[in-house]
Amino acid sequence: MSSAIEAVDRELGQLLVQVAGGDRRAFGRLYDLSSGRLFAVAKTVLRRPELAEEALQEAFIKIWQRARQYDPAQARPLAWLAAIARNQAIDIRRRFAERIHASAAEADEADTPVMAEAELAFELKRLRDCLGRLPEERQDMVLLAYYQGWSREELSAQFQRPVTTVKTLLRRSLASLKECLDGRV
Amino acid sequence: MAGFEDNSKEALAAEYVLGTLSAEELVQAERELAADPEFMALVAEWERRLAPLALALEPVAAPDAIKAKVLAAIAPSGFDTSNVIQLQRRVNRWRIATGLASALAAGLVGVMLLQPAPVPQGRFVAVLQSEGPGPAFLASVDLASGTISVRTVGAEPLQGKSYELWALGAGREKPQSLGVIAADFRISAAKLGNVEKQALNDTLFAVSLEPEGGSPTGQPTGPVLFTGKLVETE
Repeated sequence: MSSAIEAVDRELGQLLVQVAGGDRRAFGRLYDLSSGRLFAVAKTVLRRPELAEEALQEAFIKIWQRARQYDPAQARPLAWLAAIARNQAIDIRRRFAERIHASAAEADEADTPVMAEAELAFELKRLRDCLGRLPEERQDMVLLAYYQGWSREELSAQFQRPVTTVKTLLRRSLASLKECLDGRV
Repeated sequence: MAGFEDNSKEALAAEYVLGTLSAEELVQAERELAADPEFMALVAEWERRLAPLALALEPVAAPDAIKAKVLAAIAPSGFDTSNVIQLQRRVNRWRIATGLASALAAGLVGVMLLQPAPVPQGRFVAVLQSEGPGPAFLASVDLASGTISVRTVGAEPLQGKSYELWALGAGREKPQSLGVIAADFRISAAKLGNVEKQALNDTLFAVSLEPEGGSPTGQPTGPVLFTGKLVETE
């Protein structure tokens, strides 16, 4: 994990405890520390800024309500917060499916701005390494699903594979990832 | 090639985190997530495996208005937050609906023509209403004369209670009192602090029911009865 994220996680961990106790000032600080990353997550899933803003807003209201459920043994703070934002964004994407229809054109312009190579956390390098062992088509499927919230149907249309095949390929890909990530020395 | 057993918990948890479950499977996953600690742990593991992808994204600064809206939505008790959230949804719909702002402005001109006062040009108005039919108050911010004025349109007169006006959003951490609404309510627009157009467009007005003379605490203590978003009329 890069030291920048580690430092943020340390502070967020303390803030989450305070927020669980109803501390609004701590919540404001937590927002300041994490909203940029959470907004980036929402924006990759929901192209339209007004929907990404709605997702961010609803995600932070959920964070306020669920801070008590945060378990440091299960997840690191930033990852936990990002998961809430991503789930919220995917939920909105499903609700507005007819307005945010995935297309080949969208996939082409779907260059996701990631951090410079040097700043990449060790864990990300490892995950990318494991992803890189999958056939290219399956890497794309996993990344489009994770970053842009594509459904099996959308992937099926894009890759011209039956929906059931997409499901099988996704599950095989995830199983391979698990084996690679957990099994490596 | 390794694979999960078909429809195993592991497969369900992995695809739940990836976000590709069908609607039916999603319902099943959410049910298990609420009831089955083993499934919960599997989901947490998958979140942990894939989280580096989310954290690799370059942060993007969110508009300041979002923080204000979130803080307003979690504002202390006595302030009905569901009301604010619902209102925000309504405001979003307003923004999305094309031409609605001008239609609203046109309707307001009709209302204002009935009033003896002249209609100043270049102003922001908020129609304060509840979920029920019809507006209760019209609040306007007139930059030319530097005033905020409120007219009672449909609100019932009160015995032993007061209506208090609040400003929210646009960087405010909590509701700001603008005073008890009396007949011919008129105050300086400077009370809002920032009167930049953007700030005004992000400002929300709310009216709460308070003890006679206004809230004793400086924050809303009674129910928020009416809310309205400032809309630029020209």
